[in-house]
Amino acid sequence: MGQIIISVGREFGSGGRVIAEALAKRFDLPIYDRHLILEIAEKTGLAPELIEKYNENPKHRLISRNVRGYSNSIEDNIAEMQFKFIEDKAASGESFVVVGRCSESKLRKYDCLVSLFVLGDMSEKIKRVMQVYDLSEEKAEELISKKDKKRKRYHNYHCTAHWGDSRLYDLCINSSRLGIDRTVDILEEYIRARAK
Amino acid sequence: MTAQIFAVIIFVAMFIMIVLDKIERHYVTLGSGILTLTVVFGICKHSWTSIWNTLAVKDFAKAEFWYATSESESKGINWATILFIAGMMIMVEGMAKAGFFRWLCMRIAFLVKCRTIPVFITFMLMSAVLSMFIDSITVIMFLAAVTIELANLLKFNPVPMILAEIFCANLGGSATMCGDPPNIIVGTSLGYSFFDFLSNTGLVAGISLVFSVVFFYFAFKKELVSDGGEKVDISKLPKPSEAITNKKDFIISSLIFALAVVLLITHAVTHLTVATIGLGIAVITILTSGKNTPEIMKKVDYKTLVFFIGLFIVVSGLEETGILELIAEFIEKISAGNTMAMIAIILWVSAVASAFVDNIPFAATMVPVIQSLSASTGVSLPTLAWTLSIGTDIGGSATPIGASANVVGTAVAAKNGHPISWGRYCKKLAPATVMVLAISTVYLFVRYL
Repeated sequence: MGQIIISVGREFGSGGRVIAEALAKRFDLPIYDRHLILEIAEKTGLAPELIEKYNENPKHRLISRNVRGYSNSIEDNIAEMQFKFIEDKAASGESFVVVGRCSESKLRKYDCLVSLFVLGDMSEKIKRVMQVYDLSEEKAEELISKKDKKRKRYHNYHCTAHWGDSRLYDLCINSSRLGIDRTVDILEEYIRARAK
Repeated sequence: MTAQIFAVIIFVAMFIMIVLDKIERHYVTLGSGILTLTVVFGICKHSWTSIWNTLAVKDFAKAEFWYATSESESKGINWATILFIAGMMIMVEGMAKAGFFRWLCMRIAFLVKCRTIPVFITFMLMSAVLSMFIDSITVIMFLAAVTIELANLLKFNPVPMILAEIFCANLGGSATMCGDPPNIIVGTSLGYSFFDFLSNTGLVAGISLVFSVVFFYFAFKKELVSDGGEKVDISKLPKPSEAITNKKDFIISSLIFALAVVLLITHAVTHLTVATIGLGIAVITILTSGKNTPEIMKKVDYKTLVFFIGLFIVVSGLEETGILELIAEFIEKISAGNTMAMIAIILWVSAVASAFVDNIPFAATMVPVIQSLSASTGVSLPTLAWTLSIGTDIGGSATPIGASANVVGTAVAAKNGHPISWGRYCKKLAPATVMVLAISTVYLFVRYL
């Protein structure tokens, strides 16, 4: 199999990250999510906690300014580091799975890119978030809404196309319909077909 | 009345959009400028004269635009500012390409044997001196990059040094007519020379620089102590000469820079305007750059030039409709005609505003206001002009978004693994800003009242 880059966009609570991990395992590829933060931390000397804090966060417009392509916003600078990281990896010919980070847009020029978006029914997402984060139903719904709003603002600030817009991805799939494992099976089949 | 309402709406909308930063600021000012020309002057005022005066293209045909034997004021688009900034941008790109800035930074670091505290002090001074002649963005871009490189080699925290360099760049910029865009606008709009600025804003900038160096020394001393003590094997560091990409280009660009400095210092004697100097320097740089010319021209920041053009048109809309006179009347009223109160208001309001919004539109708006204020109250216009320059230039240092150098400096630090939060930035630079403003208040009161 030649170079393949699997980009996984996801709604919070849809199991997108778990699906991305499973795909990485099945195709024996490195996955850049938390690992991406650690690699950037090692490269720049930044604390991983600090990158985590600003990771996939939209900047605060009122306290940020851009001058000739430079920005004082830490969120912007962390985002740019991550975009550069995945771009360098893609340009080097490496195959990998990347979660979020506007990768479906930033790596669009690569023919080997397979861009996926995982969504889910609200009821299923709530159940999942309640279980994973040990939250009440109300709190889980709040968290889902908050996280997705943040992801949307982050994505739409850095890209021209809108987060979750089906035209942006090769395949959008609702993980609530078949469950995580069957969703991974379907996606694996699709990726293998694309890789041929 | 309708024209006034539209002029204000366009101006306020422009300011909000610049602050929100959703659309690039040059599109915002250019769009607002076009709206001012069509809606305010065309539809509301039916005045071709206003449009013609605002576009100010006839200025190019005037002899005093190029060679001025007396002070002349500018209205509408301030083409002298635009030509001068464009010329300096071209010169600076030529210098950067030849490796001038990196060489200078490394040379000074080697002169003080790369010891942390002496590097800290000399870099502050260099930042201030360079910013007197070159835009602070370029100064900080190179200084911050070399500071990080030295910090990695000498094992010290570069953040305090970068913060001090940013502050001194803004301070140095306030010393001369060409140091900071608000000063270029004030100088070309009101017909002041380089020496006028140097002997007025320059003097207080010099005094403030001494206080600032002492302030930052005590504020950052502990943080700057290098992990490995003061002993440094400088033979392991890259040599200054390695920064020079091409010796011939380096010599030529250094000579052009020296010529620009001489022309600026003597322009009150030679009567060459800043527009002539800007154009001349640009032409010489282009002629001597040979095959590098396309690359240099490509790097010129055209967006900033467009930003200025749109901005001048929008401010003309406020001026021609009498809005700025109303603001001047308001300042006169709240200061009750008291010159001391007037100076204090202009200085501190300009400073606070510049700490949060771009100081260029603020200065461009305030120039006609102080002209009107001076005409109606009899307060010396130069005094108000120096007050405005100091307020806008110094106030910008207080926050990470107050001036362009702050944004560039903090961004260079962040890209190299040293993010600077608002809290970290303001903790030391806001008090330093207040200190310099307090010194300036005393200076203005003692010298001009």
